[in-house]
Amino acid sequence: MIEINESKKISKRINALREKVLSAKPSICTERAKFYTSVYKENEDKPVIIRRALALEKTLKEMTIFIDDGELIVGNHSSQLRAAPIFPEYAVDWLPEEMDDLDKRPGDAFFITEHHKQELLEIAKWWKGKVLYDKGRALMTQELRDIHDAAIIKATGNLTSGDAHIAVDFIKILETGLSGYLNEIKSYAGEVKGYTKEGIRKAQFYDALTIGIQSMSAFIKRYADLAKYLAKQEQDPDRTKELETISENCRYISEKPPVNFQQALQLTFFVQLVLQIESNGHSVSLGRLDQYLYPFYKQDVLTGKTTDEQVIELLENTWIKLLSINKIRPWAHTRFSAGGPLYQNVTIGGQTSEGRDAVNDLSYLILDSVGNMKLTQPNLSVRFHKNISDAFLMRCLKVIEKGFGMPAFNNDEIVIPELLKLGVEKEDAYNYSAIGCIEIAVPGKWGYRCTGMSFLNLMRVFLAAMYDGLDTRSGKTFHRGIGHFKNFNSYEDLFRAWKHQIKYYTRKTVEIDTAVDTALEENVPDILCSAFVDSCIERGKTIKEGGSKYDFISGLQVGIANLGNSLAAIKKLVFEDEKISKEDLLEAIENDFIGEKAERIQQMLLNFAPKYGNDNDYVDQLLVEAYMEFINELSNYHTTRYGRGPIGCQYYAGTSSISANVPSGSVVPATPDGRKAFTPVAEGSSPTSGTDTQGPTAVFKSVSKLPTNRIMGGVLLNQKLSPASLRHDTDKKKLISIIRTFFADLKGWHVQYNIVSRETLLAAQKDPEKYRDLIVRVAGYSAFFTTLSPDTQNDIIARTEHFL
Amino acid sequence: MIFNIQRYSIHDGDGIRTIVFFKGCPLRCKWCSNPESQTYGPSLMYDHRICKNFGDCIKMGEPAISLKNGGLSIDRTKIKNTEEFRDKCLTKALTVIGENLGAVELLKEIEKDKLFYQQSGGGVTLSGGEPLSQNGSVKFFLDELKKNNIHTSVETTLHVTWKQVERCLGKIDCFLVDLKHTNGSKFQEFTEGDLGLVMANLKKLDDLKEHIIIRVPVIPGFNHTLEEMKEIVKLVVSLQSVSEIHFIPYHTLGSEKYKMLGMDFQYSNYKAVSDSEITPYLEFANLKGLNAKIGG
Repeated sequence: MIEINESKKISKRINALREKVLSAKPSICTERAKFYTSVYKENEDKPVIIRRALALEKTLKEMTIFIDDGELIVGNHSSQLRAAPIFPEYAVDWLPEEMDDLDKRPGDAFFITEHHKQELLEIAKWWKGKVLYDKGRALMTQELRDIHDAAIIKATGNLTSGDAHIAVDFIKILETGLSGYLNEIKSYAGEVKGYTKEGIRKAQFYDALTIGIQSMSAFIKRYADLAKYLAKQEQDPDRTKELETISENCRYISEKPPVNFQQALQLTFFVQLVLQIESNGHSVSLGRLDQYLYPFYKQDVLTGKTTDEQVIELLENTWIKLLSINKIRPWAHTRFSAGGPLYQNVTIGGQTSEGRDAVNDLSYLILDSVGNMKLTQPNLSVRFHKNISDAFLMRCLKVIEKGFGMPAFNNDEIVIPELLKLGVEKEDAYNYSAIGCIEIAVPGKWGYRCTGMSFLNLMRVFLAAMYDGLDTRSGKTFHRGIGHFKNFNSYEDLFRAWKHQIKYYTRKTVEIDTAVDTALEENVPDILCSAFVDSCIERGKTIKEGGSKYDFISGLQVGIANLGNSLAAIKKLVFEDEKISKEDLLEAIENDFIGEKAERIQQMLLNFAPKYGNDNDYVDQLLVEAYMEFINELSNYHTTRYGRGPIGCQYYAGTSSISANVPSGSVVPATPDGRKAFTPVAEGSSPTSGTDTQGPTAVFKSVSKLPTNRIMGGVLLNQKLSPASLRHDTDKKKLISIIRTFFADLKGWHVQYNIVSRETLLAAQKDPEKYRDLIVRVAGYSAFFTTLSPDTQNDIIARTEHFL
Repeated sequence: MIFNIQRYSIHDGDGIRTIVFFKGCPLRCKWCSNPESQTYGPSLMYDHRICKNFGDCIKMGEPAISLKNGGLSIDRTKIKNTEEFRDKCLTKALTVIGENLGAVELLKEIEKDKLFYQQSGGGVTLSGGEPLSQNGSVKFFLDELKKNNIHTSVETTLHVTWKQVERCLGKIDCFLVDLKHTNGSKFQEFTEGDLGLVMANLKKLDDLKEHIIIRVPVIPGFNHTLEEMKEIVKLVVSLQSVSEIHFIPYHTLGSEKYKMLGMDFQYSNYKAVSDSEITPYLEFANLKGLNAKIGG
């Protein structure tokens, strides 16, 4: 029995650091952009991978570094706290277009000085036409560009930043240290056949890796020097000692593998940091932190070198550091990713490879420390399995009760068996972790984006199916249909039309992904990230070239509930009950339900047809059938890595649509589920706001009818609970019991809880200053409520609040 | 007649439960939070907030239903057949409360959460209204539940004939018995009922060693004093089969429903009771050796 007492005390230093990061105003840092631009300019003759290695080297060696007062874990992302670096190689056009309005954004505003604006304008000029965005679009056919511009399929985030959505091999990093990597690279480089084309390319790759790892060592040594310098200046003897320790630790781990907990955590953070200086891809995840740090923790505690209080403080400091990392996205992408999240996931719990409960003392300390900090980073996930203890789940609920949406739960009972079926080795399958929000991968062995490929707007496809292929929004017919809804004689006709359209658009998502992936592979290969993922070094390939052991990816399908509800409404009210004529339905949605006739039809659609989320087989099954058409078609395609090394190279479905339901809805006219034009569609796999009237068990039942084993990109379910519903331990026990049923019996994928009252949200909307630290779940992650745009805020408020 | 089936109820018996609310009650408690449960037949409920004035009901219901001040004016005494209005209002602003559901249909709804009952040790709670005052269908329904191995609780006022209780014996795993007062005249003043009947039934159930939990609604102006609560607690202590007592704080969530049903709410002047006001009762009950809690 684990006896870790809840640790609620937060030290003065941590409070100060936390306050500092929370009050830091997001701004722009131009350093990285300047370094990358100058290196790219001076090395145009060199292969792209070398150019990128040199640019990373210059950045790591010359960027501003600092150590804040009281910090125990060091490392900074940019020249100022919470300043977002610019990554010009991915996209620049949006910068001149948006820079004057960055501070006026309704959500995720950034401050930028006139001086920085001028610098960025210069930088943007040079990059014009050379960036990933341009190259990716150039690889698309006109048809794909039109579909993308029409916002039926969106990949803006994929074209304007790096990939990520990955966890690297921290076990190996901590075991071998950076010098271990250098030795390994050297030995493989020695075997390169320089007389072949492949050999030449591999040699460049190994050179780039060597430069990358050496620069990282140099970067860490800079902190060793800085800490030493600061220690000499420091008056306070305690702080002097801390700085000396930091200096010694940094010097040690700049090459060698860590030997104690603080060193291990520090190196873990440096890796996390540097990956996000190399690339601005998000969802760079830490994997199973409680597992790979446990040996260090155990040894330090046993030998009396450290106490749980010290460990908690180090962890809390690390969470603050994670929040200090910032990313700026073009507005078009920001709307899909509201709240400025980086989705740096930490996963705890789960099972060992022998199937034993893996929860350990450190799992509790991580859980408590995240609960103490109540920050948006890390995104904490707990791996549920049927033998996880009630004691640990109870502790999880005590953190959930704090109302910042964490931890979320993933489920071993579905993930592990399905991974095994996909050909993942047992030891790897048992070692999976959450990536970003709810998606999963095996850390250090999986390629990018187990989810996070393009977004498919299902309701636009559905409307095209009704209009003989015409996309009424853009006025274009991308794929001629099999007829117009007004001529359909049965529900089966409608379903055939859906099948016809979704097959086409499924293929288009893969075509867009393929163009984007090709552009990413050719133009912005990651060096360090590849070094830290198995088996890139062995194969002499970047991840994107097929270096990873496994490669399964997924895009996001948005509007799941709306699809089911629209199908059910038409089937029941038009074809079965004949309460609404086809003409009247079309007229009503074309008029956006304005005017009494149309409004009457809307009310029927809303009130007299079954809705997904209420455990009603009628609608749930229609949704499953329709979604399966997408899923089956998707299984015909492969990723660009197919045949190049990794196991898999397949797609699966995914619903982790983060806040994309708001912008996705904003381009969809009125729909037959009674939804008004341009309002949000349903998020993730959750029911449409306000339609799940039967409570959480019914929602669980509906969601579990989805073909979860084919939606390995994640089945996202948000449930909002009022604080009163968790007040007593007996309430919590009942919640634990339904979570157990959902996961162990119904094999659900994920659930997360938003414990916050509607009143609080409304108050926060009115008075954001007072609620600066109020966090809510926006789909798969947590965000500060007040940084969200009013649209997203309203959507969250509208989600049904279940009273227990 | 059923007026609501509520899944995932966690305060009305053990574990996760589905509550089946039966329509019709012999009592008329002045504070009643489910006024739609009082009559045995269907009720017409009108929510002006979601009415869009389509006027369908007026066409059907004139002159009993008319337009007044932008909303509906309903004279329920003039409506001959409430059933006619079922599913007619497109916005569901005007709804017919109460539906005759067969045991099979009910069971189908109940079974949907069977996995949740199993994991949590939950089941079904029959509530109301007064479930035991229903016709024979309740007995038949209980039979079906027991055949399917579903744990059953009944929330009852016990203001029924012993015969109505007796026919359900052996099919009810737990009785949640409302005990509102120990003073017969006060009981009658506030509920129009006969406390003697309740007490006699309770005594018989107690003698039969049925599993009983006492639920005391804490109602301001009625029993919300330490003195009255002490009497209730003492009475409970005298029962041999009861060890658990729940104090249910008065709330005002039902007040809007009175308006929607065209009924007078005689308790509109009273505020909800907070948990802290109940603490002394809880302490007293604990002192007397009862397992006491607030809420269900």
